[in-house]
Amino acid sequence: MSDDPSPTENEAGTTRRRALMLGAVGVSAIVSIRPALAQTNASVMTCEIPVPDAGRAGSAITADGSVVPAGTPGSFAANGRVFKAEDVKRALSGGQLPGTEYDTNRAYMNYIRKLQSGTSGFTCFASLQMPRG
Amino acid sequence: MKHAFSVKIGPVGFRIGSDWRAPIERLAELYSGYPMPDDDVADFTVRLFAARFWRRFIRPAVTIGGDFVLPDAAPLPLAQALLAAEMGMNLQMALGQRRYLLLHAAAVERDGRALLITGVSGAGKSTMAALLSLRGWRLMGDEFALLDPATGLVHAFPRLVSLKNAAIGVVERAAPAHRFGPLMANTPKGDIRHLVPDAAAVAAMAVPARPALILFPSFGYAPVRRALAHSETFVRLTQASTNYVALGERGFTALTGLVKSVPSVAIDYPDTDSAISQVETVWAAL
Amino acid sequence: MAGAIFRSARVETLRIDWLDDFTILYHRASGITHLLNAPAPEILATLGEAGMTVSALADALALEFDLPDLETDALLARLNELATAGLVSTT
Repeated sequence: MSDDPSPTENEAGTTRRRALMLGAVGVSAIVSIRPALAQTNASVMTCEIPVPDAGRAGSAITADGSVVPAGTPGSFAANGRVFKAEDVKRALSGGQLPGTEYDTNRAYMNYIRKLQSGTSGFTCFASLQMPRG
Repeated sequence: MKHAFSVKIGPVGFRIGSDWRAPIERLAELYSGYPMPDDDVADFTVRLFAARFWRRFIRPAVTIGGDFVLPDAAPLPLAQALLAAEMGMNLQMALGQRRYLLLHAAAVERDGRALLITGVSGAGKSTMAALLSLRGWRLMGDEFALLDPATGLVHAFPRLVSLKNAAIGVVERAAPAHRFGPLMANTPKGDIRHLVPDAAAVAAMAVPARPALILFPSFGYAPVRRALAHSETFVRLTQASTNYVALGERGFTALTGLVKSVPSVAIDYPDTDSAISQVETVWAAL
Repeated sequence: MAGAIFRSARVETLRIDWLDDFTILYHRASGITHLLNAPAPEILATLGEAGMTVSALADALALEFDLPDLETDALLARLNELATAGLVSTT
């Protein structure tokens, strides 16, 4: 088959339209710049901290805040508790997380204090520490 | 606080308070050529303190405080208080700086034009900045480059250059002994030794420069160079900026302006000699 | 959902620029920066603030572009992605 070079104009002199591909359902056309660390725009007081993070739901927390398999002697069941920022803030000033006793409160608070960047709840906790806004 | 030290680094004034005298004396010695904050008013405060009063004396541990803090920062032993002070200053900048767009990048200047060297910890920013500053480039900073959204100029932030592990030996062979701070071994970031910026760099720290090249180095590979598209540079720089989002539209203006007007090159390098040589080649070809 | 109207964010909230093949925009209402690739910017420009249904949008796009892979599901997926990003609202 011989190929003639494709004209951008047909014989009537009108221009061919540019092709626009819509893409498949699973493909993405948008990249949104995600804030790092404690730069989130979300309201601080409505954010939440899961104990432990959802990836380790069902684990238990030791007194010093480490995550261990459920049933480990001396550890406290966490049951995927989720705490609001305002509760954590209150507990940081000497109060107690709702629904906890002295030992479980201490264990959960130590877990929260040890949150590392990338763990669910870290950004929320980090924003609680910033004295301005 | 009992002991205090104030210093101006680039356009930013700091006041560092400490429960212990030794770190303050050390800071005053290493930053001895630097000016004081304008009108003696600091932009940011850093506090080196003992979390419990007995921690001042028994296995003394320095907790880092200040206008901005990070909740997961473990205290450092007193022997590493200098590192704590530096981390404290970095933190104030990372979380509190609003006037300039902060880029996690080293910057050196030649003929009024700035080379920005960006990358994660370990990519070689500080080492390259130190070595280039010993080869005729003016050191503007090894940690943060400050971009003015209004002018597009880069402003210097020449704090002590933080050299880690193998880089210490490399730079020790290139610079005289009196330029270095104490060796701090086995810190959370490995062995650290500071290089004091030279007198020319300190004297010129208020002089901005026009950015002319953005470099993305990767250590540990055979030498290779490629130009980066504007879009890739933009996204990578947002990841390298701690305050892009906080600056809002000013940050958008500053960063789009930068990537559209300044070429970006990624280089792979097997050793520092190769890195320096590639930098000089690319710069000469601009 | 056949009658759902999709509307673009208000023009004064969008600060737009271009980097290579990408449209980069700063959305003043949210403070978020997005990089958009075809067909997202074209869809946003065509929708306008008055808004359109999916089928009206397909018709409008077809006037300006050749659409070799036009499928309602694909167009809806693009619209939902824009809605998740906050750039399109739907009623």
